[in-house]
Amino acid sequence: MRACARSLERVGNATAWRRPGAALAVACLGAWLLAPAVVRAQGRALTAGAAAAAKSPSAREQAPYDLTGYWTSVITQNWQYRMVVPGPGEYADLPINAKAKQLADAFRASADTAAGKQCEAYGAAALMRLPEHLHIHWQDADVLRVDTDAGMQTRLLHFRPAAAHAAPEASWQGWSAAKWVLANAGGAAAGAAGAANAPPVRYGSLQVITDHLLPGLLRKNGVPYSAETKLTEWWDLRVEPEGDQWLTITSTVVDPQYLQAPLIYDSIFQKLPDDSKWAPAPCSLIS
Amino acid sequence: MRTPPFVAAALGCLSGILCASAVLAQVDLSGNWVLVSTQSGREHATGPYPGDFSGIPLNVQGRQAGWAYSGDERQELYRQCEPWSVSYIVTGPWGGRFTAERDHYGHVIAWHLSSQAYDRLPMTIWMDGRAQPPPQALHTYDGFTTGHWEGNTLVTHTTHLKDSFLERNGAPASSQETVNLFWTRHDDELSVLGVMRDPVYLEAPWPVTQTFRLTTAGSADIVPEYCEDAEIVQGVSDGYHSATVLPDQLPAAQHYMQQHYNIPLEASQGGAATMYPEFSKRLAKTYKTPTNYCTQYCCTGRDAEKFCKNSNN
Repeated sequence: MRACARSLERVGNATAWRRPGAALAVACLGAWLLAPAVVRAQGRALTAGAAAAAKSPSAREQAPYDLTGYWTSVITQNWQYRMVVPGPGEYADLPINAKAKQLADAFRASADTAAGKQCEAYGAAALMRLPEHLHIHWQDADVLRVDTDAGMQTRLLHFRPAAAHAAPEASWQGWSAAKWVLANAGGAAAGAAGAANAPPVRYGSLQVITDHLLPGLLRKNGVPYSAETKLTEWWDLRVEPEGDQWLTITSTVVDPQYLQAPLIYDSIFQKLPDDSKWAPAPCSLIS
Repeated sequence: MRTPPFVAAALGCLSGILCASAVLAQVDLSGNWVLVSTQSGREHATGPYPGDFSGIPLNVQGRQAGWAYSGDERQELYRQCEPWSVSYIVTGPWGGRFTAERDHYGHVIAWHLSSQAYDRLPMTIWMDGRAQPPPQALHTYDGFTTGHWEGNTLVTHTTHLKDSFLERNGAPASSQETVNLFWTRHDDELSVLGVMRDPVYLEAPWPVTQTFRLTTAGSADIVPEYCEDAEIVQGVSDGYHSATVLPDQLPAAQHYMQQHYNIPLEASQGGAATMYPEFSKRLAKTYKTPTNYCTQYCCTGRDAEKFCKNSNN
């Protein structure tokens, strides 16, 4: 960078164009002009790069960080709608349409329980919002398995291309296509002196897109989502200097049938040292 | 020795690539970001309900300070324009505009997050590796913040804050509070995790999230707002004195959640336990879902008011 700057300063003199350093300066200037445009496109470029790289190494080998282990949800937002079953008509923060509201108003937990539909509140569109623990582990080199103790559900995050499966049946957890979106180490770490022999530091996010869902509930007081629902998630691991590890999942629920606009929410999980808090419980619409 | 022009050009290209890669190593946050998360919409807009500290790991001291807060303090003339603290980025209703401050070589030495509202100060994130000031240095509402990149995530650390609030219902924050923020860009969305720590009022870290979207709409939610310290809410404060709340006369706010949502005091008073699933199971043994239909803040989205009136309430 300093070389670039010195060369650019010299270009201020008109006669300097005849000197060899002028070529350096011109190249630097070009790089400077191009860099912002490339930076703006970086988000998408990261995505494309990860997709190309996913062909050879397995997802487990490619993982920029280790999500496996036990996690507990941390409920600090929307508490009254998540930690207890909210009362009738409590639809705040859900951009539902009139049809959804009509169905929710008519919802009776006892009737759905009698019909054996308790797990409709544990579908993928709402599962990560529940108070629960996660057990994350690799089912195989390209399938990340996420078990929940709440409702004893299992999500399978498939890193293999969608073509590898044929028309999956609709289910509470649907079909989840996953990919790592890798990023480089960042400004300070890139090219740091003395880092040549150190293993490369890897960062990135996990993107998960889920469809083929059975109709379910966004909230246990009856707010519905339809089979047309598509869920897009970003899973990020954030590690603090203090030692805490947080898994945040940013979810966007799009449902053309029951939502006026995308429902966007986050779920926070904290890493646990072991499975001592793991407490499987069946699905319930009343607690 | 004279360098052949083509060699110089090749060196120049190589240097140019190196120049560019140094910049590419950082995600660009420049632009206007608006809040898009639909979670906690009411809390972001109007603030949490009075006395509702559920999910906030307040300790005994924090709980007492929170209950003693009535809102009157904010009506005193000298406090009407007092901004909220840095955690308001993840608990408040505003987005902001990121701009980079660069040195001669193009390196980002600081990110500036502007605020369009008077109730949050602009925030400067120092990226040049400067050290934290000594503990006795000036404490402000925006504090002192340093940052570094970890891949696509900007990690920031804020100290030197003034006494303030975690939430607008009076959940307190002391001048010892620290805030770690993780700003992760996913395409045109920015997922932010804030983790607040406070040895005075919190018994555990308090993590809160927020999601923003890059907008090209210019000033969508970036409209400057200025505070004029003249508005007095009649009957609440005379503008000079706040109501005195004695310990044995704690406001009815502490029972608000019980009265309106059947949520008992052991939950609404907060505490680290209230953040975890075990608390939900414990509460399930005594909690009764309200049977009355919702009467306030029931719906979200377009035509929410009309929407709610069309049915049971």
